[in-house]
Amino acid sequence: MEDLLARYGFLIVTILQQALLGLSLYFPLMTGQLSLASIGFYSLGGYVAAVMGTHPALAPLREALGFSMYPLEWLVALLASSILGVVLGYPALRLRGIYLALATIAFVQILGVLALNMPITGGAIGIFDIPQPFESRLAYAWFFGPLLALTLFFLWRLERSGTGRLFFSIRENELAAGAMGVNVTARKVQAFVIGCALAGVVGAMSAPLLNTWNTRQGTFDAAVACLAYVLIGGARSKWGALLGAALLVSLPELLRPLKDSRMILDGLVLVLVCVYMPRGIAGLFDRRRA
Amino acid sequence: MIQAFLSLILVFALVVPALAGNVASPIPIGVAVASTSNVALFGEEQINGAKIAEAYFNAQGGVNGTPIKLIFQDTAGDEGGAVNAFQNLIAAKVVGIIGPTLSQQAFAADPIANRAKLPVVGPSNTAKGIPQIGEYISRISAPMTVVAPKSLQKALGINPKIRRVAVLYAQNDAFSTSETSVFQEAIKASRLQTVTIQKFQTTDTDFTTQVTAVLGAQADLVVISGLAADSGNLVKQLRQFGYRGLIVGGNGLNSPNMFPVCGALCEGILVAQAYSPQADLPINREFTARFEKAYRKSPAQFSAQAFTAVQVMVEALRKVEKDTKKRITAMDLAAVRTATNKALTSGVAFHTPLGEISLGREGEVNQKQFYVSTVKMNPGGKTGAFVLIK
Repeated sequence: MEDLLARYGFLIVTILQQALLGLSLYFPLMTGQLSLASIGFYSLGGYVAAVMGTHPALAPLREALGFSMYPLEWLVALLASSILGVVLGYPALRLRGIYLALATIAFVQILGVLALNMPITGGAIGIFDIPQPFESRLAYAWFFGPLLALTLFFLWRLERSGTGRLFFSIRENELAAGAMGVNVTARKVQAFVIGCALAGVVGAMSAPLLNTWNTRQGTFDAAVACLAYVLIGGARSKWGALLGAALLVSLPELLRPLKDSRMILDGLVLVLVCVYMPRGIAGLFDRRRA
Repeated sequence: MIQAFLSLILVFALVVPALAGNVASPIPIGVAVASTSNVALFGEEQINGAKIAEAYFNAQGGVNGTPIKLIFQDTAGDEGGAVNAFQNLIAAKVVGIIGPTLSQQAFAADPIANRAKLPVVGPSNTAKGIPQIGEYISRISAPMTVVAPKSLQKALGINPKIRRVAVLYAQNDAFSTSETSVFQEAIKASRLQTVTIQKFQTTDTDFTTQVTAVLGAQADLVVISGLAADSGNLVKQLRQFGYRGLIVGGNGLNSPNMFPVCGALCEGILVAQAYSPQADLPINREFTARFEKAYRKSPAQFSAQAFTAVQVMVEALRKVEKDTKKRITAMDLAAVRTATNKALTSGVAFHTPLGEISLGREGEVNQKQFYVSTVKMNPGGKTGAFVLIK
């Protein structure tokens, strides 16, 4: 058991982390908006934590705060992501469907180019030697676990609240929702910003987990991976992101004994899931309940 | 479901590090490089080199009679993959780890091995700050600050009239951006004039803008830092648009994978190398012969460095046995790891295919000799070789 936890500790934490990233996409999806921007905010949050954790000018602050430095990093990441989310959200969410997805991809690319060229982000090498709150990777579950529980609780409340119902009304029929007097753009931005803020905080928690932060964390590939969690897991349920992340992150690791052929089997499983479970893994449970 | 998560988290909190027993026989050494993803191109070369080393040193009797066994774990191309591979190797009770392939992966995974007090030898990590990650981290790959300027000096030796230099680099590649700053400083130090600096992406295929800028600036030397495929296309387009001067390539161009891309137009590119298959050393002759027999091509630098990494690990283990007068397999794993790290960084000289090297106290490599080669393409322009310039 101990051996197992030592070996798969990082994997378990990665599942929680990636599930949170998937959930950050679920918020805009509640209003029917397909956004790939989360990974950009994740990257931004990571840079915030990395810079605050390593910049020499902030050394006195770090010494004074001790462990409280980490919550402060999350807070700064949350604020930065929320503000940027609003600034990006208003123009972008006037776009619909594929155009919104494209605009958010462009945003991720812009952030990437900025990070590559700004001295403070360390260029392509990035920032390394980030201070560690925990020795064991598994202990990072203390960061991601409560955040995931909190997010799921928040979603559970949100889905039952008036705001949540407004979100769903836009997802089901934007035109009808608008006609009923829902301020469609404002609601879409609201859902989008919640997702951005979550992704930012996850990024800020992830920088110490990885020890290092660079532009490779916020690539288009990573954005597609996050989207895949939601789609494979089920886009219409909050459990979808969690199930999708658990499957997609753990599969290549659990197939490790198969050596090089593991990626083939990994791909095969994904194709089969897509073909036989068009509503995702969570969709499977829905049917059973009905 | 929420309660289930909370109880799961409580279980995590109770984890205690696994207790280590004695070292297994054959002695397990971990190799964590990329055998999948786009980094696999380099990772495969490393695996080939390491396998030759395993066979070669076991034929010699391994560690004073106890054979070694390499345990390969795929890191893929990302940081998370490297961390997972390292965790797996730590759990597999290896005495040391060779890897990972990329410097960025090293920054993520090496601290984990360092905390577990497990020696890591970086076979291809060339970024600044790698040995400084911790006491247990060292590398046998010379940092680019040392290697890169050698080719520039050679170019000036070939054509002393060179004055105007154009610098091109892949701005989304960590290695290339670091390397270009080394080149640019070396250019300044040689009192040459940098007439233009052009950036590109490793995914680019059309370099018209960059080539036009180079030709417009009337450069008589071009210095490129990029990866094999993009640099190959860049060289091809430079020549097609009529650039006639010398081309100096960084370490990314130090790969036969470039030849199919630029074909006959690869001819004459100058590359500084930490390794040359033509280096006339007994162990290198043995290594290249075995490698060519197994894979029907001459070894790339990545392969030779992986071989060297295994070699220094084996020689360090032998030294531990000699110093403690005990068999490795009769010793406690944690003690072997610490002693091996000490033996690695004791400054003793290793005679490797790269030439004579030693590791300083901090774990930084000290390599005696470097090589500058030029590309010679065979008729037909499909295959070629790096030929050592004497």
